Amino acid sequence: MYGKGLLKGLWITFKHSFEKKDLVVRYPEQMPHLQERFRGSLAFDFEKCIACGICIRNCPNNVLSMETAKDEDSKKKKLMQYTIDLQYCMFCNLCVEDCPTNSLYFTHDFELSQFHRDDIKRVYHRPPELDQQEAAQKTSDQDTQTAADDKKEKQLRAMINAINKNPQKVLARVLDGEEQVEVLAAVLMADEKKLARMAEMMITDKEKAKKVALAFVKKELKEREKGGDQ
Amino acid sequence: MEHWFTDIAQALVNWLMGLGLSAGWADFVLLIVQWLCIVMIVTINVIILIWLERKVSGFIQLRLGPNRLGPYGAFQTIADAIKLLTKEDIIPSRTDKWIFMTAPLFFIVVSVMLYAVIPMGDGMQVVDFNVGLLYFISIGSLSTICLLMAGWGSNNKWSMLGAMRAVAQMISYEIPLAISLLGVVMIAGSLRLSDIVVAQGNIWFVLLQPIAFITYFIAATAELNRGPFDMPEAEQELTAGAYTEYTGMRWALFFLAEYTNLVAVSALCATMFFGGWQGPGLPSWLWIIIKTYLIMLVFMWMKWTFPRIRMDHLMSFSWKILLPVSLANLVLTGFGLEFFKWMGWW
Ligand code: SF4
Ligand code: SF4
Repeated sequence: MYGKGLLKGLWITFKHSFEKKDLVVRYPEQMPHLQERFRGSLAFDFEKCIACGICIRNCPNNVLSMETAKDEDSKKKKLMQYTIDLQYCMFCNLCVEDCPTNSLYFTHDFELSQFHRDDIKRVYHRPPELDQQEAAQKTSDQDTQTAADDKKEKQLRAMINAINKNPQKVLARVLDGEEQVEVLAAVLMADEKKLARMAEMMITDKEKAKKVALAFVKKELKEREKGGDQ
Repeated sequence: MEHWFTDIAQALVNWLMGLGLSAGWADFVLLIVQWLCIVMIVTINVIILIWLERKVSGFIQLRLGPNRLGPYGAFQTIADAIKLLTKEDIIPSRTDKWIFMTAPLFFIVVSVMLYAVIPMGDGMQVVDFNVGLLYFISIGSLSTICLLMAGWGSNNKWSMLGAMRAVAQMISYEIPLAISLLGVVMIAGSLRLSDIVVAQGNIWFVLLQPIAFITYFIAATAELNRGPFDMPEAEQELTAGAYTEYTGMRWALFFLAEYTNLVAVSALCATMFFGGWQGPGLPSWLWIIIKTYLIMLVFMWMKWTFPRIRMDHLMSFSWKILLPVSLANLVLTGFGLEFFKWMGWW
């Protein structure tokens, strides 16, 4: 019969209109269930970013931009400010995918509308804690430096003392033969600078100390010969 | 309750005549007041109808429809109306300005003119025309011209295409519409709408003329450009047909006129087939409102159930099925009437 399908359709919609309407998410009261990889607004982790600029070069819409400055001490690039102008973002994921440190990531926040256009833009300033942290890092570095210096000097002084006290025994480490050792001891006792140099070398580089010691002895012997001639 | 409105009108006339106006002038003032009332009725109806339409479509599609503003979202249309009123009126530069600008005005005026003859209760008719039905049908077909004006004036191919579809469709469906109503006229023996209502005192004409009712209903759906016959708008193909270039209040006027037509055609349907304002218990004006709204609900129900049909199917359906059927119904009615008279039952 003609029109049977029409009546069937009408009956279906009639039934539907009395069904319970629980297919809809009543959004402001009820949040929709978002999948894990849902791309909501873009967020940025200032501390992780290494200011490499890969994200900025990859963004097709020029959403991202940053300001950097050169760190005076380490001569490294340092991030001062990072801007996400979200109104142009098409959530293509290119920046997130390419960030080597995962500083950029998508959140589940999808309520992006703002009353003013400028409010859409997100500007991340360099957090002051980061500077403080860096400063703290630097002073601690210096401390270890001075500590090392102290240690070296102590060693040096100990070495000089040892040479002064017992030249034969200590200098035997760099030279063979008692005669030579005696000559070297005489040279070093005469010149404090040479003594300090020799002591330092003996601590840091024994081979070099041996060579220098030999050179000293030869020179001294020569001079003595000359003096003997006169 | 029954005579509230007629009493108010009578009191108004009496009061004006008491002020020293002649009867003619008093009637004239009454006419203006009646028109204002009609405009008010139309506006309120449209606000309710748009809300209803959205609710019905939502329910049918397993949604909730508007439900934020006011109880059950009832104030949503009011907010929309305010939005449309305050919107910028954009007139594209290459349009035929006068035609573009006046089309919505003509459309709404034509739609409101339909209400002049509709009996909205016992004795509640602006003009009780002796050819009321003829007036209704001829004024109703004027809206075709307004749509053509809108399409032509927009100077946009989609608008033009939509308007041409509207004209082809509305003129084709005008014929079965008029012919199906003729059967009722033959039985009632009058073109005066109040006579037709009175003639249904014993039995509704929907029972005597079921085929005419079905053809009228289908043709009226097409006349109103409502789904499944909304080819002229067909937003998937023509954006919004003739309305594409309209914004703000002008567009709202078209919208208003469409729903105004819907109310008018449903009220005519109630008048012609469902006994008009006659009914037990309740006052007559309430009966016509109830009947009209029930018919409009069916219109909405159909719109949100059936898919849109193709343009060529639409035309061939009108000329090859609806027209022969309504003509056959007319012939059958004539024979039936003669037979009944011959048997002495009429
Ligand atoms: S998601 Fe795409 S458009 Fe948005 S900031 Fe990243 S690269 Fe640019
Ligand atoms: S790619 Fe990552 S690390 Fe490099 S500048 Fe962008 S956010 Fe920073």
